[in-house]
Amino acid sequence: MKIAVAGKGGAGKTTVSGTVARQLSRAGHPVLAIDADTNPMLGISLGMGPEETYRLLTVRQGLDDGTIEHQHSVEGLVEAFGVDAPDGVRLVVAMREARVDPGCVCCGGITPQQMLGELEGERRTVVCDMEAGVGAIVRGGKADIVLIVVEPSVKSIDVGIRVAAAAAEAEVIVVANRIRGEADLEAIRAELGDHELAVVPEDPTIALADVEGRAPIDVDPGAPGVGALARLAERLVAQPVRG
Amino acid sequence: MSTAGPYPKFWATVGSRPARRRPGVVDDYEWPPGERPLRIVVVGKGGAGKSVVAGTMARILARRGRRVLALDTDGVPGLALSLGATPPSTPPLVAAVDQAEGGCWRLKKGVGPVRAVQRFSTLAPDGVRVLEVGDHPVSGVASVTPSAQAFYQVIHGLPEARALRAWTMIGDHPAGPRQTTHDWASYADTLLVVAEPTWKSALTARRLAELASARGAAALTVATKVSSPGDADRVTQIAGVPVVATIPADEAVRESDRLGVALIDHAPSCPAARAIEQLVDDLVDGKVGQVTGP
Repeated sequence: MKIAVAGKGGAGKTTVSGTVARQLSRAGHPVLAIDADTNPMLGISLGMGPEETYRLLTVRQGLDDGTIEHQHSVEGLVEAFGVDAPDGVRLVVAMREARVDPGCVCCGGITPQQMLGELEGERRTVVCDMEAGVGAIVRGGKADIVLIVVEPSVKSIDVGIRVAAAAAEAEVIVVANRIRGEADLEAIRAELGDHELAVVPEDPTIALADVEGRAPIDVDPGAPGVGALARLAERLVAQPVRG
Repeated sequence: MSTAGPYPKFWATVGSRPARRRPGVVDDYEWPPGERPLRIVVVGKGGAGKSVVAGTMARILARRGRRVLALDTDGVPGLALSLGATPPSTPPLVAAVDQAEGGCWRLKKGVGPVRAVQRFSTLAPDGVRVLEVGDHPVSGVASVTPSAQAFYQVIHGLPEARALRAWTMIGDHPAGPRQTTHDWASYADTLLVVAEPTWKSALTARRLAELASARGAAALTVATKVSSPGDADRVTQIAGVPVVATIPADEAVRESDRLGVALIDHAPSCPAARAIEQLVDDLVDGKVGQVTGP
């Protein structure tokens, strides 16, 4: 199964991706996590530590530097570039904008969308943390399930609506994040109420994990927000409900 | 690299398409006493508060009598909301382009940066003009592409647009480093990096500061959502660049975001708005933003 995680910047995509990946792996599922953000930070939410995450080699950088040989398949790239994150999650950083002359973003190497499209998704769960905004999904993510992470703000919901429209071929689950109460939830339901909703309450544990650069699941797996994400992970591997 | 003038040319060789910059066009404008030209782009991780900072700064400067051009290069109209403007329903610059042989979109004959601003920008409160890439239509990405390509050309024409030389320009980039690497702010002499005191946000600031430094630019860091005395120091430590302004965590910001209204209209004297005003003062007075290159 392939899961893409999308939404406005700062909505919580990386926290959702990292926690869901860790939880699935703990439950015994083989998990491949792809960081498809040009500003890759997924390693932090997986629990690899901020400085280690910052240094992670990207697929494209490695190809350009000659650090790794060109591979004939996406699976080969994943093999060559994957690093091990806690709980047995395998992490691949697809791309990073860190060059003065970056060349063309469209053809300067394998795109996360290609990667997601070509990867084998039958015998493992692929969790792909997308770049902020609508473009990443519109450019053709081939996911079975798209998690749209939405905060209770007009801008975040606005991005969510567009992602939902662009991701119409996939099964869509809206992850309502940082929810403090019914008023927050109402705003999201009013615009995205047609979709399945997973509610993640505002959680000081997740905020603390962000400040400390740790995985929320390592700070306190029993915290309400972390628990909500664990339940979301269970739901993802359950039989699809789309009918 | 010399950074003597108010417009150090550190963007000149940036990115995949070098900015053409005619020296003197902005430099030879006589600013009224006490005024400094401000050409700023606000960058940072998603959710750090870029649009709120950019939009509030633009409104404050316009209230002080400046002609302000706000530039929103994000395909989702966040800056408009933070300015208190109504986002256009279609990508405005679509009407300004035609397709060249080979499929590239280019500005129509006779449409330069000045005309693009005159005809395709919209009016925000306090007289701010806002030019936007425009809205991703709900049906797909196709129709925003011409507008985005036109916008890129407009941006690269801004530094040499004589009629706009007295204008203050404030840009708002989408989350992350993508547009910074691809030179979407050739008009800007100041890179304002917004970061909250979390590792992800401050590391993004480090990444952006490194990108700026790789091309001889300096970045100024603004710490947002600051709630304890050590927060700004944390951002400085992680990002590796000093924080020049501190914007406190403020429920009014969350509430104005939730409602989709401009902070300056929702709570004009809330602590966050006052801190942004202080940042404007410091930039105008030259207390911060005296860019020094390597």
